[in-house]
Amino acid sequence: MDAGTNLLYLVVSGIMVGSIYSLIGMGFVITYRTTNVFNIAYGQFAVLGAFIAWSFIGSPPGPSASLQPVTRLILPLAIPLTVICVIVFGLLVERLLFRRMIGKPVFVTFMLGLGLLVLLRGLIMLMWGGGGLRALAPTIPVGSMTIGNIPIRKELFWSFGLALFGALAFLFFFKKTRLGLAMRAIYDNQIAARCLGVSARLNSQIAWVLCALIATAGGVLIAVGGTGVSMGLENLVLVVLAVVLIGGLDSLLGSVVGGLILAIGNNLAIYYSANYIPGFDSIFKMILILLILLIRPHGLMGTKPIERV
Amino acid sequence: MTENGNVLIGKDIHLNFGGIKALDGVDFTVERGKIVSIIGPNGAGKTCLVNSITGYYHPQRGRILYRDKDIFGLKPHKIARLGISRTFQDPTTYPSMTALDILLAGRYMHTRANMLHSMAYFGRSKREELESRRIVEETITFTHIEDVRKLPLATMSYGQRKQVEIARALVMEPKVIILDEPMSGLDDSMKEIVTELILDMHDRGMTIVLIEHDIQAVMELSHFIVVLDYGEKIAEGTPNEISRNERVTEAYLGGWSSAQQ
Amino acid sequence: MMIRGKGRRGIDYSKDLAILGTWQRWTALAVFMVVLIILPFVLDYWTWNTGWLIFINSTIITIIAVLGLNITSGMAGQVNLGHSAFVMTGGFTMAVLTTAASWPMLVALPVAALFTGLVAAVVAIPSIRLKGFYVAVVTMAFFYIAQFAISKFDITGGMHGLTRISPPAIGGHVLKTSNYMGWFYFMMILLILCIIVSVNIKRSRLGRAFTAVRDNYIAAASLGINVPWVKLRAFFIGGLYAGLAGGLLASSISVIRVDQFTFWESIWYLGMIIIGGAGSTAGAVMGVVFLQLISKIMSIIGSAGWIPGNVSTPIFITYIMYGLIIILFVSFKPNGLISLWQKIKINYKRWPFGV
Repeated sequence: MDAGTNLLYLVVSGIMVGSIYSLIGMGFVITYRTTNVFNIAYGQFAVLGAFIAWSFIGSPPGPSASLQPVTRLILPLAIPLTVICVIVFGLLVERLLFRRMIGKPVFVTFMLGLGLLVLLRGLIMLMWGGGGLRALAPTIPVGSMTIGNIPIRKELFWSFGLALFGALAFLFFFKKTRLGLAMRAIYDNQIAARCLGVSARLNSQIAWVLCALIATAGGVLIAVGGTGVSMGLENLVLVVLAVVLIGGLDSLLGSVVGGLILAIGNNLAIYYSANYIPGFDSIFKMILILLILLIRPHGLMGTKPIERV
Repeated sequence: MTENGNVLIGKDIHLNFGGIKALDGVDFTVERGKIVSIIGPNGAGKTCLVNSITGYYHPQRGRILYRDKDIFGLKPHKIARLGISRTFQDPTTYPSMTALDILLAGRYMHTRANMLHSMAYFGRSKREELESRRIVEETITFTHIEDVRKLPLATMSYGQRKQVEIARALVMEPKVIILDEPMSGLDDSMKEIVTELILDMHDRGMTIVLIEHDIQAVMELSHFIVVLDYGEKIAEGTPNEISRNERVTEAYLGGWSSAQQ
Repeated sequence: MMIRGKGRRGIDYSKDLAILGTWQRWTALAVFMVVLIILPFVLDYWTWNTGWLIFINSTIITIIAVLGLNITSGMAGQVNLGHSAFVMTGGFTMAVLTTAASWPMLVALPVAALFTGLVAAVVAIPSIRLKGFYVAVVTMAFFYIAQFAISKFDITGGMHGLTRISPPAIGGHVLKTSNYMGWFYFMMILLILCIIVSVNIKRSRLGRAFTAVRDNYIAAASLGINVPWVKLRAFFIGGLYAGLAGGLLASSISVIRVDQFTFWESIWYLGMIIIGGAGSTAGAVMGVVFLQLISKIMSIIGSAGWIPGNVSTPIFITYIMYGLIIILFVSFKPNGLISLWQKIKINYKRWPFGV
């Protein structure tokens, strides 16, 4: 490929990966906006969801996949079951951990999230083993294709499509529907809303279930896009952090912006730094985070907090 | 040293928040050793004015002079160190501290032990700790909060927290103390106590700026009153003059007349 | 802050402030010191493996590191997710100074601590304008960047780290002999110094400034406290402790590599502080000892073969236990073990009327 096509490839694939990142970021923003919880265990949600999905979907047949889950089912059964399991998980987390934390300061819920992070890691490793990469049996078309004259992997394209669909659905839900509006309103003052009888509990439940679902979707999409299901997906939380910090912790649209900037920037960083500083891309996210916190801590599209004295 | 005995002067202060004009060309003068009250309906800009003086808000325009020194735009901690103390309308919460802790913390700017001294404790740090404790205990006696010295703030009643708040401002040995609604939310007996306290402070030569809604207390205590409404100063003068000012009675006092004095 | 009842007027404030005011406390301290002194002999003789002394040495190092974090995060409320990177900085500085530059240990150790403190202060600079957990994110970003940076320099051994670090010695006399006892006493003395300094800070003007900034940084300014300067000092002192711990670590195990320091360490440190009680020196010590004991017991149980599953299972279960403990403490006892301890003491004083 010549330099121009190369650049185009980087940008296009960046847009696609970025969309997945954006969707994942939205899940985080939703939890934060509606429950004021900074869910640092988000990465583990993704891993858990991906492993649950794998348990029902299994790996593609072939010599490389020696492991097949006992509970493997056909696709039309597997997907709903996965969704049900994830919903139950989300409800459990909300009920057992975070319901009593409504109204508590962010620091406290953050520490709770840390505890959950550690706990989930242990549980996941216990249930599915510590290492190992499992490919996820393709739920979407696999192979190569071209857009124009840029080669793109089909699974990436399909992931992108699904992510785009999901993201748009979200935006619609939150900005246009009554429930979405109610959820956004409740965030502003949970305790007062509770006093007024507005069901903060239902709101909390929905938020956590959505968070778990989106994390799972993100984990699965990334796994399917090529990386497979493994503990490594927990690093998704770092991606999410970068996305929501760049975009703004309380902005859904900001996640879109953040995801695109991160993905495209990352691609460019990998390509251009390969000759100068190998491995730079691993801390590209961190540098972006530092930059945005130095320049505009509330993110490109977040609301600036006003301090009342 | 001071300009005509005036210790705090504000000139033409303009404060906007986005499109909202909180303060519109406010001037005021505070004479040394006097009690000056700032009154006005809710939202008139009283607390905004205090926040501007103490450095928490940055007015777009204006001058603020403290003992002839321009303090406009200084950071809050610098202004506190110059000798201007303030209380907060909602008494400051420090969830893990007791009253004694906060008062001792208030001695921060009068003590000089640095990091190394603090690590070593024996020597300057200990000396200053004992001295601070002595001064704090005096303030506790002065403000009558002996009963709650060792209680965590979170367990105190609202009235007690307001008393501690005043003590906290006093412990800093200010030249000028700004009290932001020290009596709001208190019952009559507590208001008595606070009124006495303000008079005691005045006897000791302190300059007091008082923001209050309790008109009776304001009329009793003040040497001078400034009236704000919608961010503007609509009147100023002695209590007598203010109670006769029709614009004020109409906007705020609800018909308080000199006959009621 | 300890609640000692209403207090009487006119008492000697010096006594009120003192840590060891009463004779009971002096006695307790004396007993404790005796136990500490004979401990290594007892362990050496009685247990079936000297793994315990190694464990205690490693626990001492962790306590020192966590005491530092307790000052930055527990007392001053600046959540530091990158503390592990500070320990790493101290370790590498120590390694380079004693090995490549052949500095004597007694000089290299304080220099490593000081350097780490300065690095921590630099990290604090971007955090100054930021609130609450944004500080945590900055420190986390620093952690990853530091890991990356250190692995790129040759002087620090690149990806492989430094090995064969000079053993710790004072004036030619090697401290770390095969039974680790001399090393234990040396580190124990340092630990005691660290604890004393930490307690002193807490009851000093600086400690109160920390608490004021932690609880209400807006109002703290109205007390005349220069909040950015306080934050800087909180990070600096935390860095001092971490650097010391890192230096001791490097000397202890004679090897230092970037991958010894993971983000998980930062999480454990924070967890220990929460479990022990944020801001309290005794709490930090308790938190460390508690979690370290759990992990040690799990590894003993695991190697004795009492846990089904493969060889890694005890580690997984340790994670699960750590996670559960953190969750339980944050949910039910957010003030940590130290608050439990205070409740016990209060009830003991009031018995049989309490509870």
